[in-house]
Amino acid sequence: MSALGHYLEEEGIATVAISLIRPQTENTKPPRALWVPFELGRPFGPPNDPTFQRRVILTALHLLERESGPVIIEDFPDDDPRAQPDPAWHPPFVPTASVDGSAEELAARLEAEIPLLRGAHDRWLAQNRRTTVGLSALPMADCGRYVADWVRGNAPASPRDGFSAPLILRFAVDDVKAYYLEAGAAGAGKPSSQQLGDWFWNETAAGAAIHALRNACLASQDERLKLIAGNFMVPAARVRGTG
Amino acid sequence: MTRLTSLPPAQAERLAALECPNFETTPWVTGSALSRRRVAIVSSAGLAVRGEDPFRGRDPDYRAIPADTKPEELLVSHISINFDRTGFQEDWNVVFPLDRLNELAADGVVGSVAQTHYSFMGATDPVQMEPYARELAGRLKGDQVDAVILSPV
Repeated sequence: MSALGHYLEEEGIATVAISLIRPQTENTKPPRALWVPFELGRPFGPPNDPTFQRRVILTALHLLERESGPVIIEDFPDDDPRAQPDPAWHPPFVPTASVDGSAEELAARLEAEIPLLRGAHDRWLAQNRRTTVGLSALPMADCGRYVADWVRGNAPASPRDGFSAPLILRFAVDDVKAYYLEAGAAGAGKPSSQQLGDWFWNETAAGAAIHALRNACLASQDERLKLIAGNFMVPAARVRGTG
Repeated sequence: MTRLTSLPPAQAERLAALECPNFETTPWVTGSALSRRRVAIVSSAGLAVRGEDPFRGRDPDYRAIPADTKPEELLVSHISINFDRTGFQEDWNVVFPLDRLNELAADGVVGSVAQTHYSFMGATDPVQMEPYARELAGRLKGDQVDAVILSPV
């Protein structure tokens, strides 16, 4: 991000970067940056908190009016209030998932679980009037079936022209995660990302199935599949055995 | 929060040690007061408008996001899964603060908001992005943009 600032500024356009990882910004030395103490993925802080977000963006934009520089790296003083867990939040009901079981059992549980979340996801849509599901462009039932077929070891062909099977698998896994995390956040509670992630990865059949799929793909002879499974399915913090 | 101590040790080590370009120059462009600036967002979240070409891997180019894009039309196609997406799911301003910028323009705090905003895919080697970033500068100038806020994930 800071490198983009360097290139644009060299071309004559003033830039200010939000910085999430201060050591990287210190190394790249952009013209202006505001480091924010928020988690990765939240450069402007808490969702649905316009006042807080406005303070972040204004603090950054005002760095454009400084006369001394480069390099300016300043720190935003306040933490994201939504980083705290909400004890009142409860996830939608799903049967207790087991990480054990054959590939067929895990795949079947995933396919059976998705329809159970339909009501929660409908509530999410009614509340938010949007969904971030859609990278694979498959309806959610088809998306779940496609991932489940991979869990079963069938290596199904890509259903979309111009998109390879491993790419559609990555997009379908992303869509399943988005669907669940949106369904999980429906309702009055304000869960932290940690709470939602704990639920998805530890308590749902989808989380168990994606873990199993990752392990199966890592054991395959297909280097591309290994790359995608190893890096782009289960977050580093959720890979079992590494904390 | 993204203090490296709050991340898994392997991830923190990787992020801290990530090779960054070592630039020989430190460019610096000054300009008018914020109230007269035209501001664009350039994100590295791998944002793509629904139905258009998502980022497939470490693509070095960028996607255009017209200012009239609706929140339901914007997707994250970044290859990394090691950042939170639930904030963006709930409110796109967490990553793409277009509503906040429009409010600042309506209040006269910033001059105006660009017609088009842009996204790269931040896991790409910056050296590969350079020609696209320089080409993008021309497009931004064509839109009279004189201030860019860079939004990472």
